[in-house]
Amino acid sequence: MRRFNWSRSIIYTILFIITLAILIPVLNLVAMSLSDPTRVKELSGLDVIPKGFSFINYEIILSNPLILKSIGNSVFITLVGTFINLFFTALSAYVLARTNFVGKKVVLVFLIAIMVFEPSMITEYLLMKDLNLLNTYASLILYKAINVYYLFILMRFFQEIPESLIEAARIDGAGHFRIFTSIVLPLSKPALATLTLFYGVYHWNEYFRATIYLTDQNKWPLQVVLRQFVVTQDNTTMLAGLDLSPEMLAILDFASLQASTIIIAVIPLLLLYPLILKYFTKGTMDGGVKD
Amino acid sequence: MKKALKKMREDWILYVMLFPGILYFVIFHVVPIIGMKLAFQDYRIIGENTWVGLKHFQILFSSPAFIDVLKNTVIISTMKMIFIFPIPIILALLINEVRSGPYRKYVQSVSYLPHFLSWVVIAGIWISFLNPDGGINIVRNFFHLPSLDFMTSKDHIRWVLVFSEMWRSAGWDSILYIAAIMKISPTLYEAAKLDGASTLQQMRYITLPALASTVVTVFILNLGFFMNAGFDQVFNLMNDSVISKVDILDTYVYRIGLLNGQYAYATAASLFKGVIGLVLILGTHFLSKRFTGKGVW
Repeated sequence: MRRFNWSRSIIYTILFIITLAILIPVLNLVAMSLSDPTRVKELSGLDVIPKGFSFINYEIILSNPLILKSIGNSVFITLVGTFINLFFTALSAYVLARTNFVGKKVVLVFLIAIMVFEPSMITEYLLMKDLNLLNTYASLILYKAINVYYLFILMRFFQEIPESLIEAARIDGAGHFRIFTSIVLPLSKPALATLTLFYGVYHWNEYFRATIYLTDQNKWPLQVVLRQFVVTQDNTTMLAGLDLSPEMLAILDFASLQASTIIIAVIPLLLLYPLILKYFTKGTMDGGVKD
Repeated sequence: MKKALKKMREDWILYVMLFPGILYFVIFHVVPIIGMKLAFQDYRIIGENTWVGLKHFQILFSSPAFIDVLKNTVIISTMKMIFIFPIPIILALLINEVRSGPYRKYVQSVSYLPHFLSWVVIAGIWISFLNPDGGINIVRNFFHLPSLDFMTSKDHIRWVLVFSEMWRSAGWDSILYIAAIMKISPTLYEAAKLDGASTLQQMRYITLPALASTVVTVFILNLGFFMNAGFDQVFNLMNDSVISKVDILDTYVYRIGLLNGQYAYATAASLFKGVIGLVLILGTHFLSKRFTGKGVW
């Protein structure tokens, strides 16, 4: 019989407390957003079960035209942005990982230089202004069309494809572009999935460039609108364009409305979280750690 | 030479494939970096900028506001280095003691989660949790401590930065250490157990020494980003009552540059930060090469 292991039970308990410290603040917001507005005052800061139950906060938030618009904008930026990221990154990664061409060393040194010296946000802004890209989604997407770190991760994946497969295709007369599209890309589905998630999460969460590049509120992604509510505490925008009865306005709880907006911004990540765990973790372990 | 030219002609398709990527980097990285010469100029909306030498740097270094910002950056980064850096290592050691199975999966899934939330979302969560009747203050009241308004308290706001960063990144950052631990041969532990080593002794004499090189590498990498001090975090958790304690280089550049329109002056501050950052990264690269045999890249 195993004897009771003290140190192990202490470790299990500490870890449990850590997970509670992460989950309770999040679940408390979920509970707040789902509570009945007339009873939400009873909800303590540690409660994770809603007081009463109501979707009214979500109904109000989702009937705000600005929020609705911003969700659409975020989806658009994330989809188009990620597609462009993948295209540019994969194309460059193939050439750098699988071929030897004159000048390759120079390009690699150039990329490392890019990695260690970031331009100023001021000159980046002025560049977008000079290119007439302010207030367009192109500015958000082109600002980080290729992330150098992700490029290096993909290169490492591409390098693992057996040389024999590529050699066989070359003997059959396939050129580099054919090899790229019909051998390397199909064989790299897990790697591309990883990068899709890396880039997708980046675009979904991006708010700063959108804040400085997009002046038109109607173009704002969800994160910028959310920031307006929870960081700037701008309640007027939150209720703008809504047709609420006086009784409704009397019971409205701004904290609960903010909570539901936060949850809406997190839901897509939670839905993808199982996939994220699978691919991100692997991607970080393989690519992030240098051997 | 001739051979090289011939090979270049043969490989023309490679250059075509590489062209979009290089073009992107040149336009969106190299051009704004060259644009940072603005730090030595006065910005003109119409016409050519005029060269003014080190004028902006002289104003910068004689400005008490900039010195405060510099101090804040160093203090906040140092606090994070000291108090956050060891946590993922400890967490990895703890998680390693949990056998694979549902509980381990639960702990890992939960602790990685905050890494994927934007700082806007995290700010929302923390502002709510730290408010005078939020969860933290309920815990404080339980121990008969008075409620605090953390977000507007000059004495506490830097700790808010430290703990919210810890909350966000400790779990995720433990992955590197967990990966390193998993590479340790199980026979070492078996031998130790046969010799009667306790869990703590196994940690102390087998796991920790095996982690040493990863610890050094991560520490050196962090040092390279010292001047950043976490822009997104500060930008979202800052408010007027605590700005004097948390205003860092990047938030300062944002405010004087993008909000007040002092482009050249702000670029000078950026360039200063960039050069220090570059020195730190190059320095740590060579340190890393020397001590661990591998560089930062």
